[in-house]
Amino acid sequence: MEAVNPKTIPPEANGPDTVVMTVPAPSGPSGPSGWSGELVPKGAAFEPAFVWLTRSAAILVLLVLAGICAVLLIASLPALKKFGPYFLTSSAWNPVTENFGALAPVYGTLVTSAIAMLIGVPLALGAALFLTELCPHRLRATLATAIDLLAAVPSIIYGMWGLFVFAPFMSTYVQPAITEYVGPIPVVGALFTGAPYGIGMLTAGLILGLMVLPFVAAVSRQVFATMPPVLREAAYGVGATPWEYCRRVLIPYARSGVTGAVMLGLGRALGETMAVTFIIGNAHRISVSLFMPGTTISATLANEFTEAVGDVYLSSLLALGLILFCITFAVLFAARFMLSRIGARVAV
Amino acid sequence: MNADQNGIKLSIRNLEFFYGNIRALKGINMDVADNRVTALIGPSGCGKSTLLRVLNRMYGLYHGQRATGEVILDGKDILTMRGDINTLRAKVGMVFQKPTPFPMSIYENIAFPVRLYQRLGRREMDEVVETSLRRAAIWDEVKDSLRQSGLSLSGGQQQRVCIARAIATRPEVLLLDEPASALDPISTDLIDELVRELSKDFCVLIVTHNLQQASRVSDRTAFMYLGELIEYDTTENIFIRPANERTQNYVMGRFG
Amino acid sequence: MKPDDRLLARRKAVNGLMMSLCVAAAVIAVGALALILAKLVVAGTVALSPAIFTLMTPPPGSSGGLLNPILGSLLMTLVAIAFAAPVGVLAGTYLAEYGRGTTLGNGVRFLNDTLLSAPSIIIGLFIYGVMVLPQGHFSGWAGAFALALIALPVIVRTTEDMVGLIPDSLREAAVALGCPYWRVIVSIGWRSARPGILTGILLAVARVSGETAPLLFTSLNNQFMSTNMNAPIASLPVVIFQFAMSPYQDWQSLAWAGALLITACVLVLNITARVITSRGVQ
Repeated sequence: MEAVNPKTIPPEANGPDTVVMTVPAPSGPSGPSGWSGELVPKGAAFEPAFVWLTRSAAILVLLVLAGICAVLLIASLPALKKFGPYFLTSSAWNPVTENFGALAPVYGTLVTSAIAMLIGVPLALGAALFLTELCPHRLRATLATAIDLLAAVPSIIYGMWGLFVFAPFMSTYVQPAITEYVGPIPVVGALFTGAPYGIGMLTAGLILGLMVLPFVAAVSRQVFATMPPVLREAAYGVGATPWEYCRRVLIPYARSGVTGAVMLGLGRALGETMAVTFIIGNAHRISVSLFMPGTTISATLANEFTEAVGDVYLSSLLALGLILFCITFAVLFAARFMLSRIGARVAV
Repeated sequence: MNADQNGIKLSIRNLEFFYGNIRALKGINMDVADNRVTALIGPSGCGKSTLLRVLNRMYGLYHGQRATGEVILDGKDILTMRGDINTLRAKVGMVFQKPTPFPMSIYENIAFPVRLYQRLGRREMDEVVETSLRRAAIWDEVKDSLRQSGLSLSGGQQQRVCIARAIATRPEVLLLDEPASALDPISTDLIDELVRELSKDFCVLIVTHNLQQASRVSDRTAFMYLGELIEYDTTENIFIRPANERTQNYVMGRFG
Repeated sequence: MKPDDRLLARRKAVNGLMMSLCVAAAVIAVGALALILAKLVVAGTVALSPAIFTLMTPPPGSSGGLLNPILGSLLMTLVAIAFAAPVGVLAGTYLAEYGRGTTLGNGVRFLNDTLLSAPSIIIGLFIYGVMVLPQGHFSGWAGAFALALIALPVIVRTTEDMVGLIPDSLREAAVALGCPYWRVIVSIGWRSARPGILTGILLAVARVSGETAPLLFTSLNNQFMSTNMNAPIASLPVVIFQFAMSPYQDWQSLAWAGALLITACVLVLNITARVITSRGVQ
């Protein structure tokens, strides 16, 4: 059979010829012996209504997004008007004098996310490569499921685990070790000074990295799966080692997709709330040392929103929300764009 | 059955068809007789399936496909008819190359199109289902498993159920698009017999790649090539005394 | 050409090193999951008892249960899905059918995917702005709608994927019988895609069960037993947050019990969803 042009919408529902409804003529002798006269299927008149119904539902999604923009903008106007662009550069945060600045939360958001990416992405890629290339077939499904389930664990669980297990572990073993070995090094050492509280930006960043890992791994795996088998066979056929195949063939091929995956992970890290709130220490300050407590935008919102008194306070918090919205959506748009370039649509 | 006096059911005049800017059918003129089997043959890409799909406006599902000209069925031009297009499709049934049972029980598969048009009591519906399955020569094989999923049958059986489904609404024209090409030889034979039987009540148009099937089954044959209707005559003439050289080359197997 | 043995050895060494690192990465990932689950099970089962399901949340220093947060979460999740499922299925159907190739369809698809990964706290802020502020008080309805907006993109996405999987041949067969297109979608399309759509709803429920941030400023919290959706209502994640951050031992152990409940729920839903997809796809 000749190929018929597939895959476009059925325009009939919107087109000029279908929707004119004839009045149903009385059908002829009913019953299995046959019909005569105009035949109109029952329910044909419902078609336009159904189209309208589904289209409205789709438009609702648009409206939600538009609504979010609108609400955040309108609600943060008072604060933005009062502080102007200095809102972004001031690290003050004083509910009493009503002087607020976004610098500390923004700094904390960026630093913890950076740590999360530095730790999480290599681990994620490594795990994804392992699953794609090295893993024995029988184990593959189980391990892949295990990593996907890691992504399903709610962030509050990560937060609790971080607070009760990981932070004490950090303060007892890891931080003292780092202070001892890395501390003396001139420039880098400044990043790791201070008492080993356990909670702080480093720990928060590490937990975030753990949360980002399964996302980036799952998406990368899906991206790697789009690799045409012929290319893979060709590479192994000339005698490449698995690492050489990964480095020289697979990753370059999947570069756009992997970048998209990484940016999806970044988007997640930037907006993550509960895990971070537990272990960042909630201090509105900027410190060079990663051992120190700090705060992120979402942690600030989570901690202070319900107790915020006064319009300026509330408006400043919502302005923080606006900043978070802008940053994350910019990253997510870019991520989706990169993923769409290789035609990979991933449900994450 | 409302064929005109000459027994013509469908009149096709100057039919042109376009996929976007590509002209797939060029000036087709033919009269299709009622109660006869008419076969459309030709090499791949000649437009025979395209022609078939014009006759029930299936191309309307897709953007960028359009037809000009006239196709008269019972005095009305299909291509420009006002009114509900589903009416047309109730009169012109189609069976596809790939068996497409719906994800329902066998009984439901047949009842589904009937329910679109009629409210029948349980007994009447049972009758309709049985009649259709009998006419499609598959009643005996499925009568005890009507409640099972349509997908549980073999390919040949599924296709016969699809045929039963297509005739359940008592169409006047039956379009068959290579109905047996995906099936084994035994099913193909069964379907060939079926096609001849069905022509007693319907106007049947069949597209086929299988020249032997065309010669066995049809009364008239149309040979198409590159979107044009090259020759249209009784089957006997086409296969034994073709007037056109290209027709002769094709039926002799020299190309295609 | 004779292969250079030293080159070969070096390549093998590099490969060995990098591949071991990959294995290590996978081990870390799976190991982390194991550690987290282990702690959850250990700390949670200690505090688990039938009282969890029968007693209200206690003030610090006395014993109690998690009845009101469990009920509150159930209520809000139910309302959320009751709203998000129909809207999501319809929107997903639009994207897969009538909206294929249209600008609106492409736009909605892109934005829906973005909403899918958006920080949930922003959804909370949005609902705060459109429901809590105008109404002047926190409420269970606000919390439910925040959860609905988090569930919605998940359901839209899976519905679109599943309905889109239906082969054109099936659609054409139904249309050829004179079936109006909307019935093709409902009677054939939705029926075929049913396992997938259900999976999407299950996954949405799983996603929503653990969400804390959006509830913090929509449904707030409630110490007492209440099913009044018009007022602040307790929910499991928020109670866990409050109890875990507190310095009280009994509150903390209740928090672990709650955490275990939520995680068990989420994992069961996810695994069920996977089982349905792997069995339902034909």
